Amino acid sequence: MSQQNAASRKRAIALHAVIVPLALIWVFPIWMMVVFATRPDSAIFSPKVLLTPGNRFWENFNLLQDDLNFTRTLFVSVVVAVVYTVLSMILTSMAGWALARYKFHGRIAVVGIILGTMTLPYFVVVIPQFILVARDFGLSNTWVALIVPPLFNSLGVLFMRQAFSMMPAELFDAARIDGVSEWKIFLHVGLPLARPMLAALAIILFLASWNNYLWPLLIANDTSMMTAPVALGSLFGLVDVSWGGIMVGAVLMTAPMLAVFVFLQRFFMAGITAGAVK
Amino acid sequence: MKIFGTCAVAALCLSAGLVQAEEITVWSWGSAAPALDATLEGFNAKHPDITVKVEHLGYSDVKSRVLAACAAGGTGLPDVFQFQNVEMELIGAQFPDCAADLVPLGFDAEAQAQFPEFKLFALRQGDRMIGMPWDSGPSMMFYRRDFFENAGVSADDIVTWSDFAEAGAKVQAANEGVTMTNDNLNGGTEWLQMISNEQGCGFFSSDGESITVNQPGCVAALDVVKTMVDAELMTAGNFGERVQNLSAGSVAALMSGAWFEGILRNNAPEDQSGKWGVMAMPSVTEDGVRAANYGGSLLAIANNSDNKEAAYSYLSYALGTNEGQITMLREFGLVPSLVSALDDPYVNEPSEFWGGQKVWELVLSRLEIIEPMNGTAYFSDADQVLQSVQTKYLNGEYDSAQAALDDAAMQISFATGLPVAE
Amino acid sequence: MRPRSLTAFGFLAPYLLIFASFWLWPIIYSFYLSFMSTRRLPWTFNPKMTWGRVVQDPAFYNALENTLTILAIQVPVMLFLATLLAVMLNSTLLRARGLIRFAFFAPVVIGEAAYAAVFRLMFNTEFGVINKVIESVGLPPVEWFSNPDAAMALIIMAVTWRWVGYNAIIILAGLQSIPQDVYEAATLDRVSPRQQFLYITLPLLKPVILFCLVLSVIGSMQLFAEPYLITNVGGPGGATETLGLYLYRQAFLNLNFGYASAVAYTIAALAVMISALNLWIGRDKT
Repeated sequence: MSQQNAASRKRAIALHAVIVPLALIWVFPIWMMVVFATRPDSAIFSPKVLLTPGNRFWENFNLLQDDLNFTRTLFVSVVVAVVYTVLSMILTSMAGWALARYKFHGRIAVVGIILGTMTLPYFVVVIPQFILVARDFGLSNTWVALIVPPLFNSLGVLFMRQAFSMMPAELFDAARIDGVSEWKIFLHVGLPLARPMLAALAIILFLASWNNYLWPLLIANDTSMMTAPVALGSLFGLVDVSWGGIMVGAVLMTAPMLAVFVFLQRFFMAGITAGAVK
Repeated sequence: MKIFGTCAVAALCLSAGLVQAEEITVWSWGSAAPALDATLEGFNAKHPDITVKVEHLGYSDVKSRVLAACAAGGTGLPDVFQFQNVEMELIGAQFPDCAADLVPLGFDAEAQAQFPEFKLFALRQGDRMIGMPWDSGPSMMFYRRDFFENAGVSADDIVTWSDFAEAGAKVQAANEGVTMTNDNLNGGTEWLQMISNEQGCGFFSSDGESITVNQPGCVAALDVVKTMVDAELMTAGNFGERVQNLSAGSVAALMSGAWFEGILRNNAPEDQSGKWGVMAMPSVTEDGVRAANYGGSLLAIANNSDNKEAAYSYLSYALGTNEGQITMLREFGLVPSLVSALDDPYVNEPSEFWGGQKVWELVLSRLEIIEPMNGTAYFSDADQVLQSVQTKYLNGEYDSAQAALDDAAMQISFATGLPVAE
Repeated sequence: MRPRSLTAFGFLAPYLLIFASFWLWPIIYSFYLSFMSTRRLPWTFNPKMTWGRVVQDPAFYNALENTLTILAIQVPVMLFLATLLAVMLNSTLLRARGLIRFAFFAPVVIGEAAYAAVFRLMFNTEFGVINKVIESVGLPPVEWFSNPDAAMALIIMAVTWRWVGYNAIIILAGLQSIPQDVYEAATLDRVSPRQQFLYITLPLLKPVILFCLVLSVIGSMQLFAEPYLITNVGGPGGATETLGLYLYRQAFLNLNFGYASAVAYTIAALAVMISALNLWIGRDKT
């Protein structure tokens, strides 16, 4: 027994000798984000290496606000991500329900086409999507343009289809015998049962929208309708810009997501792994 | 939000216009943005009812945002936007309705005649004018007098690029940690453009119908760049890095459009005052032309702006009066393209920062020998090709500058469908 | 399940409407566009300016080469690291599990703009902490943004940093779905842990790793924000210009929608081909 203990201690030491330095490397950029955000630019661009946070966060925040109205862009980002998440959950859970619970002509075709969106690069659609939304509909710089086109994302459909098809049919048949309408069965039986999956989906969708870069870059040119990532990226090219301020923006974009990750880790993991492991 | 903000009912607009002072928004970049800010005091003295809001953005940001907005039928554009002269034809060719015609607003033949023809032709669309010329960018060599003196080098003796390289070696030997010069080698072709222009070679022929980038003048220009890099006299520095280098005192000379004067003067630490000088750019041969143009912008008014008249009155003040133009020259070194402003007494004044030199006299003397260049609607296509060809050539992937530019010409031809000139 | 076409399409209709307008129709329109010369108004049918150009444009091949380089280096390195991490994170011997998981999984939630900003400062040639470390061991500083190879390495490191945790999460879930009694039986039969990993864990993980591989391939083919934001739009001189960036330039900076559409279809065809190849190589040989 003691021999086995010694062996496993050796393995434990080896394991930590590898993983702890790696973990430190991985967390380092996040640490530096905080360091940069709390230091003046003269310290960021100085020959001396600084590895500890300073106390200039609010000064840098004010510099950022001078360079652009970052709180406005955060507001745009929050509204877009929340509305997108809610709408996408409604649309995709309905579609997932239909594909999981009903047999109908064209079901295979619908599933096939939807799967196609997962494998084809977004670039194939982004140009005509832009022409359609921006030129033909004239919707640049609107909430609709920021929120609606990305709703084509089929992740939720496949996700919810899987969730609903794992539920036993008897649950729903009992309700049908009582004469409950299909819509109400979906709403009052199906959806409540899928709550954990919905939570996972919500997190993934919110994150996708929050960090979305290319579409908002193209569709929102008006400063008042820019999302936070696009606004932050637009500062990189300026000469007279506060990098401490930019890093404050990075922190403000990142901190809420890290909180979500820490407190809702279980749902977060479920969201990422859905579809990979059957 | 613009879509909700545009007036659906004409009556509403009218009533709103009566009670509210007009506000116009301008997109601008670099030192041009604060230069516009500097004109506001004078403008508002004349037009207290018009508020001008200048948004300071990055150059590539303005460019990509304007293009995306034009592609979206103009939604999202501010009332006024800055654009580079050489790139404006892209907007004219692709989105003829994006920028407003300024002629009916008052930019008639008489008003146009106040500007030189080379600043106007990219803006002309038949009888329409889709912008008002702003500044031009005679290329100048800005140099550190003290670094040159340490090396026993005189700027007056530098006539050719080989003289410049020789001086560079001495300057670097005499000044520890100083690099002779920088070019935006990683993201631009600035020296190539300037020296090509100096040598009378454009990327496109003057009628814009063929590609001329592989002609001798451009080949000579690319050779100069390679010589500088190979002799380790030139390192890469984008706009921001060059500003960092100059304020850190780690670069001895920078070549750019004259508008760089303001950037340099406003970013250099106080103790550098009096240590900088300006000289004409060297040439390839002893008797060669020593002038080129780099940069230079215009202001355009968005066609779907609700405040075109107000916007035009701002343009005609800031760009069309000596007062507006000289303010921008004084504060930010923007060289007026308004001809009458060139006779303003200010241009003959010596500058303390430049060691008492009469900078503008020298700069303006370049204007008449600059050969205008046709940017065409394909300027960014060509520039992208040349960036990658230049990088490859500097890394030794072509046998000669001629071979590199022959390849570039062929690639630009693929992209544009234009033939390579014989 | 019983046939209820009407009910089913009732539930499907809202999603399908969005899907048809913003995915299906654009993809068809894109195909049409890919035959049009959009260099001047009006647009004209001229496949020579689009498809004809794709096959012979050196700038396209440069972007393709860069993308394939990233694909060939970054994807295997990342998946190897992800598998290693998953195995280590799954070990019962691991202490401070929560903290260590946080370190690797946190980058997954960080947006490109935010991490691009940090990487730009960390890798700053003159003042960045990375070059300080390199110089402290006596090596010359690396010009991360001017040297083509260094810039490419920077992009690869950044993407790996961002995505390794994501893949590790998926592989970890795969590991945890392997029944524990398989290992118990193997331990009783005196199969060493290394052999257990090679002959039990890896084969059972194959479908999950394959899934990660396909996702990563598609992801690499679409790489855009990193070279846009970190290396100044594909610099130096196009050395980190990916297919995605090339397409963006052509479409939205040169306003050549027709040619960009042909490029888009080419990217799509390549992505499908490479994914299919992966699946074919990884198929069960039974």
